[in-house]
Amino acid sequence: MDSYNKIIRVSNALYNDGLEKAKIRDLSGAVQSLKKSLRFYKANIQARNLLGLIYYEMGEVADALSEWVLSRSLKPEDNPAERYLEEIQSNRSQLNSVNQTIKKYNQALLYCHQDSRDLAIIQLKKVLSMNPGLVKGYQLLALLYMEEGKYELARKELRTAAEIDTGNMTTLRYLREVNLYLQGDSQHGKGGRKEKEEKVSSYRSGNETIIQPTNLKDNSAVMTILNLIIGVIIGVLITWFLVIPGIRQNAISDAKKAELAANDSLTTRNQEIKTLENKIEELNKQIEKQEGDSDNAQKIVDSYEQLLVAYDAFAQQNIQGAGDTIVNVDSKLLGTQAKAIYETLNNQVNEQYISAVYAQAEQDYRANRFPEAITGLEKVVQSEEDYNDGYAIYYLAQSYRQTGDMDNAKKYYQKMVELHPGTSRARKSQQYLDEMEQQP
Amino acid sequence: MINFEEELKKFKPSLEVEEAEDAIYDRDLTDMTDIMQEIIREARQR
Repeated sequence: MDSYNKIIRVSNALYNDGLEKAKIRDLSGAVQSLKKSLRFYKANIQARNLLGLIYYEMGEVADALSEWVLSRSLKPEDNPAERYLEEIQSNRSQLNSVNQTIKKYNQALLYCHQDSRDLAIIQLKKVLSMNPGLVKGYQLLALLYMEEGKYELARKELRTAAEIDTGNMTTLRYLREVNLYLQGDSQHGKGGRKEKEEKVSSYRSGNETIIQPTNLKDNSAVMTILNLIIGVIIGVLITWFLVIPGIRQNAISDAKKAELAANDSLTTRNQEIKTLENKIEELNKQIEKQEGDSDNAQKIVDSYEQLLVAYDAFAQQNIQGAGDTIVNVDSKLLGTQAKAIYETLNNQVNEQYISAVYAQAEQDYRANRFPEAITGLEKVVQSEEDYNDGYAIYYLAQSYRQTGDMDNAKKYYQKMVELHPGTSRARKSQQYLDEMEQQP
Repeated sequence: MINFEEELKKFKPSLEVEEAEDAIYDRDLTDMTDIMQEIIREARQR
């Protein structure tokens, strides 16, 4: 046998060793053997493929890919590595997911170096939930737990790691350390356990052994009542602090809403009232206007009637009657033609009427019927103040003086003096005025 | 007794998929057969 074949045989022997170890899940041991095998003969395809598979099982996907890629390049034909690579490349999402877990593991390792152990623990838990074969992850997590004093948790992680890789020296070393610590802890706790054991008593009831604490008292009824009271108190407190504020808040909210609604309603009603008041005012104005129009219409009708009556009296030569009636006509309410008729009739009637009234009044004055004279002369003076060259005023003043109405007498004597100075009647008027001044 | 800091130093970052290609190129694949061939070649040269 030549040296070359010897080398290949050694390589194969190491491969067999690695395979045996892999079968009993001593993955670390298998990796060691397979690496040695490949040191002897790098083209040992079976050894390289198995090494890739073990890496893959341990969660080291990149290492697995490296081995399979090399394997394929060394033996492109009829190579199982081809199938492994195709399988991984066909499921890109899973490959990405596993790659993410590797990145997170590296991040966790960085946290450890930065002394951020809490963050590292959180990160590693995530990593292991996504990549449950990553032995290094369990080991690092266990190491962190040990550093934190959480040995039970560390043991749990290490046992999981040991199930994946049974012969991993790091796992076994950590596990030994954890077990030592926990054993020492349990021995410390034994004394306390004995004390606890003393506090229980046991007796047999038929075939059954009843274990009962010695200090157990049958106080279930008291406890029930106490629990009930506590329950009621808690209920009352919950009602007082949680339910009642809610109800109160709702009531306040409802009241506010009702107040808002009432205010809105009030505003609307006020608006309606204001509108109605405006309407009433408008209607009142319309009524007033209608009444005014009605009054005006009545006055117009009356004026026309009076004009007709006056015209009728004038046609029958009843000047007195025509004069008495025509003064009741309001010329402003007449139309243009009616106004012209009124003007003509009024001039003619006035002239004759005043003349007749004056003649009658003068007659009454001379017959000492002064009140009658005053009535006639007042009409004449109101129509034409300076009628008959002031004689109407003079006789009126005289008539008032005769009846004892000195105020009116003075007024007309004064007018007589002003309108016709220098006449004998003015002088007499002044004389009477002087006399009246002297009288008390 | 396990020393946390010392143990931590033993943990190395895992190889990421993006780094796999470089890792393959950088790897020293020399095996015993290569060494043996080298020895034979050197012996012949002498």
